[in-house]
Amino acid sequence: MGIDSLPAALSVIRPELILAVTALVCLALDLLYKPADKMPCWAVAFFGSLAALASTIASWGTEQEAFSQLVRMDNLSNFFAVIFLMVGLITLCLSDSYVQREGLPAGEYYTLLLISMTGMVFMAQANDLMTVYLGIEIMSIPVYVLVAMMSKSPKSPEAGLKYLLLGGFASAILLFGIALLYGAVGTTQLADILRQAPGALKASDPLFLAGVGLLLVGMGFKVSLVPFHMWTPDAYEGAPTSVTAFMSVAVKAAGFSVLIRVIVLSLSPMAVDWSQIFWWLAVLSMVLGNVVALVQENIKRMLAYSSIAHAGYVLVALTTGTETGIHAALIYLFIYALMNLGAFGVVIAVSREGDQGVEIRDYTGMARKRPLYALAMAVFMFSLAGVPPTAGFIGKFYAFSAAVKAGYVWLAVIGVLMSAVSAYFYLRVLVVMYMKEPEAGAEYSAGPWGAPIGAGVSVSLWVCALSILFLGIWPGWLSHFAQQALQGLTSLL
Amino acid sequence: MTGLFTAVFSGFLLAAVAPWVHRLAPRRSGWILASLPLALTAYFVLHIGPIAEGAAFRAGFSWIPFLGIRLSFLLDGLSLLFCLLITGIGTLVVVYSGGYLKGHPELGRFHAYLLMFMASMLGVVLSDNAIALFVFWELTSLSSFFLIGFDHERAAARAAALQALLVTGLGGLALMAGLLLMGRIYGSLELSRMMAEGSGPLQSNPLFLPILILVLAGAFTKSAQFPFHIWLPNAMEAPAPVSAYLHAATMVKAGVYLVARVNPLFAGSPFWFWMLVGAGGVTMLLGACLAMVETDLKRILAYSTVSALGTLTLLLGLDTIRATEAALAFLLVHGLYKGALFLTAGAVDHGAGSRNVAELGGLRRAMPITALAAGLAALSMAGIPPFFGFVGKETIYQAVLGSSAARGLVTSAALLANLLFVAIGLIVGIRPFIGALKETPQHPHEAPVDLWIGPLLLGAIGLAAGLVPGAVGHDFVLRAASVVMDRTTETHFSLWHGWNTAVALSLVTFAAGLTVFAARHPLSRGFARVSGALAPVGPARGYFRILDGTIGMARGVTRVFQSGYLNRYLLFVLFTTVGLAGYTLFFRARLSWPEEVLHVRFYEAGLVAVMLVAALTAIRSRARLVTVIALGVVGYGVSLLFLFFGAPDLAMTQILVETLTVILFVLIFYRLPQVIVLSRSAGMRLLDASIALACGGLMTALVLTAVRVQWRPSIASYFSEHSLSLAKGHNIVNVILVDFRGFDTLGEITVLSAAGIGVYGLLKLRSGRGEAP
Repeated sequence: MGIDSLPAALSVIRPELILAVTALVCLALDLLYKPADKMPCWAVAFFGSLAALASTIASWGTEQEAFSQLVRMDNLSNFFAVIFLMVGLITLCLSDSYVQREGLPAGEYYTLLLISMTGMVFMAQANDLMTVYLGIEIMSIPVYVLVAMMSKSPKSPEAGLKYLLLGGFASAILLFGIALLYGAVGTTQLADILRQAPGALKASDPLFLAGVGLLLVGMGFKVSLVPFHMWTPDAYEGAPTSVTAFMSVAVKAAGFSVLIRVIVLSLSPMAVDWSQIFWWLAVLSMVLGNVVALVQENIKRMLAYSSIAHAGYVLVALTTGTETGIHAALIYLFIYALMNLGAFGVVIAVSREGDQGVEIRDYTGMARKRPLYALAMAVFMFSLAGVPPTAGFIGKFYAFSAAVKAGYVWLAVIGVLMSAVSAYFYLRVLVVMYMKEPEAGAEYSAGPWGAPIGAGVSVSLWVCALSILFLGIWPGWLSHFAQQALQGLTSLL
Repeated sequence: MTGLFTAVFSGFLLAAVAPWVHRLAPRRSGWILASLPLALTAYFVLHIGPIAEGAAFRAGFSWIPFLGIRLSFLLDGLSLLFCLLITGIGTLVVVYSGGYLKGHPELGRFHAYLLMFMASMLGVVLSDNAIALFVFWELTSLSSFFLIGFDHERAAARAAALQALLVTGLGGLALMAGLLLMGRIYGSLELSRMMAEGSGPLQSNPLFLPILILVLAGAFTKSAQFPFHIWLPNAMEAPAPVSAYLHAATMVKAGVYLVARVNPLFAGSPFWFWMLVGAGGVTMLLGACLAMVETDLKRILAYSTVSALGTLTLLLGLDTIRATEAALAFLLVHGLYKGALFLTAGAVDHGAGSRNVAELGGLRRAMPITALAAGLAALSMAGIPPFFGFVGKETIYQAVLGSSAARGLVTSAALLANLLFVAIGLIVGIRPFIGALKETPQHPHEAPVDLWIGPLLLGAIGLAAGLVPGAVGHDFVLRAASVVMDRTTETHFSLWHGWNTAVALSLVTFAAGLTVFAARHPLSRGFARVSGALAPVGPARGYFRILDGTIGMARGVTRVFQSGYLNRYLLFVLFTTVGLAGYTLFFRARLSWPEEVLHVRFYEAGLVAVMLVAALTAIRSRARLVTVIALGVVGYGVSLLFLFFGAPDLAMTQILVETLTVILFVLIFYRLPQVIVLSRSAGMRLLDASIALACGGLMTALVLTAVRVQWRPSIASYFSEHSLSLAKGHNIVNVILVDFRGFDTLGEITVLSAAGIGVYGLLKLRSGRGEAP
């Protein structure tokens, strides 16, 4: 093993380094510029993330470990890093005018966003339980702060506090699980755990089993699976909408990246055990998420419950523990990121100062007043409901057919039924937008399409909507990359 | 063979530009846009010859290669029959809509949905791949949703649109599940590949019955079979051309198409027979009876469509050559006359301002051409020779008389439905135009050419086809039937077969039908009373009950889980954690009591006792400060324990952390209001206590298990051996802190300083606030 050469090791964590340095520059710039002029901070954050994305894409296809095997860069980590950075860039576009409108401290906001992204990339590259834990904390702590940032509204600090306390709890459980696992197999390195797992299983080692159980609880919290989901609606509703958008896709994807690496790949010898637990968690999440979303009046809360249901769909694919299943999960996460960001983008565009206008009834007659936003929202809602020919259908199709292929027919049937339930609340938004007349005197963020809320929002909406339609019609392209992301890893299964 | 692709996708393309076409030529947009369906009709007409000779046309390319999904199209006898119905009636309906909605601001959008529907429907009947079929299937549901809800100002239209989408969309998903399972059994999602393998693999599979139910759920919801028929009458909220096109002639027949298409795979199974014959028979009778109750022209037609769809399902279920031919012939007959009747109903509404049959009468003078069109269609519906409807009815009678099982029952059901059809045909197509002129909300006037050309053509075709039934029968029906039956059929269609039982039944039907028409008022009251009595258990009520039940459940779940109280949330998280870990520990793992007896020294016992007292105080106390201090005592106790067991560095860190925590707590709690007791009731307190005890129990079990673990040689001996040789230090503790674990120490210092800065910040914040007024 020996000590890695430093430049080679640093090249492995190049995206993280770029993000971290950008975050520091952003923080420093914040001190230099007046509160009213935060454009430089935004630009630095944007181009820093872009550079990190470019660096990730440039290293597509390479496979390397560094820092005594604490981190590992391979196509899987690159695939996830692309999701995080893509989400980060779109979030930045969505944030620019929103941050100004809501009077959030811009410099801190962008810095925290960048640090959180750094943690996520670490999570994707984690090759050791210690890196997993550190990555999760680096990602989570900035998000706790971001959630509580909108101090004007009483909901935001409350949401932040709830998220912090419950999140801290989940972290402690996760850490305890790691400790137990270490006690059982004497290592925190994922490759070694994989090697030791069959022996520990044979001996029915209580520490090993309990450790894995606690790990599942910790990760279930991060991706908000039922019954670890309670924080989700409160936090999503209270947080600034741009932060909600970021959390609902990036934090979730990061949680799944760890779940795939640690549980599905490194603990594959005990697939029989965890796939049972996954089965139940998936069913509970799909049922509760979709059913409760039916009665939500606040669109952020509705999307929060919908995000719980979508975590359930991803878990359906992972329950199989097969290559097809992971492949489906990767595709799903990518597509989900685009459609959910888009939906929140419309929420930002429609809302007014002080996060007003986030009730579903505020969308009444939007097709008349804002035909283009309504059209974009229609694409996102159809996609979230899984209606062909949008990408959402492709994602669900991959996930459910993976389940059927692996013999989990009932799981797929429940999933399909629950998607049907979900159609009800997604289409409700459409009905409200297209089939009701706008109320007299209803306010919208003024001006012809897009101007006051900023070009960034409009651009990101169109990027998301067009990608969803593109991927819905030509999914082969994404499927190909997801396939490459799994190359060499699935021999572990 | 790219023609088939062009045929399907040109509709989508034109749909996308339809609003602009409308904007350029608002008066003539119907005629302009109708040129595409007209061209497509011509294109499919050109295929009649080759297909009648047994050819089939294919086209396909790879769509999602990873899952082996191809976008493949197949044009054979069955698809051709449907394609001609879709494009032919489509042409007339597009022209009609231009006139019907003249001046409507959203006409462009309407045309876009209509063309989108046409293209999707062509996709359904042409797809050879199960997934492609499903995708187009859902697109038809979706366009139907938009078209029903087109008149969106009315709440009834919105509710009907949603109901139709929920029922057919859910059915579509069931269909997809069934098709996927079939794909798994056959190893291919290509329908023609499945057909080539035959019904053997499917029928011998243990999943056969679930697959059958799933596929039929798709077909029955789409084709409005009992008990899913409720959405179709409500869908009459849509404008008349939509009712004529989607909800009479084409879309509702998609389910029938599906049953016909997969028939070779399922036929022969008793389940298939009884499900189709049972559901079809019930739907046929129920629809016809309910049609008699209604007074609105369109709702009468809707229920009679339900009845006709039941007839089709029943006939396909009989699974004889004659019955299949009868089904396909009737499909064509029904498409022609029902489309025409809906369009004339729209024209009457347009011209006279009412659709209530009780208010309409004597319109023949004011609307002669419409009256002619309606009369032609109504006579075909009543099955009067020489109309095509007569041929259809004759073949139906021949088919039910040839049924292998329950012949008497099926024949009497068909007789009953048909005689009601005679009456309904007279009520909707003849009655409004004859007799004395009645007072209508609007002075009646003839409809413009756009509105009468469609129904008149359809009616005329119905007459022409009746005069030369052989040509129609041979070219369409037999080719289509041979696809459904998976073998060649040769029957002669003609208007007159000589005197036989079927003709006798026809005479009975007509005579009884006239009687029913004469006695329609008392009959309708009787039916209304029965259906009113059955309403509380009917499927319409069931739909709302399910909808309300789901929403009620959702509210309940939200109340329980999403109370907003943090302690409740924590309770759930802890409960699951303990459950999950506890379950694995006690049922999966081998737990054992540690072998070595623990030697407890007296001061250790004393320390633990102090900690216990402190913990209890923390629970009991109502004052925050006391709680914080009690918790601090527990923490310091833990540090002392670390010290006793020879881990001074750990103890040091713990003491520092405890100190900081207590300070932070005090600083923050000082500013908070008094403790609010959340769990007031004894039950809640008991629950809290049991969760706490369970957590403690789990931790104890884990700690006891962990005690046994000894991985490496004890680290302490390593330090004592190497502290001098490697680090040149005599004080082992010092060496550990600054050398062996130097980085740890650095980390701890950093953490502590960061926490210190935080505390300082808090203090400053507090003093800052204090100074402010």
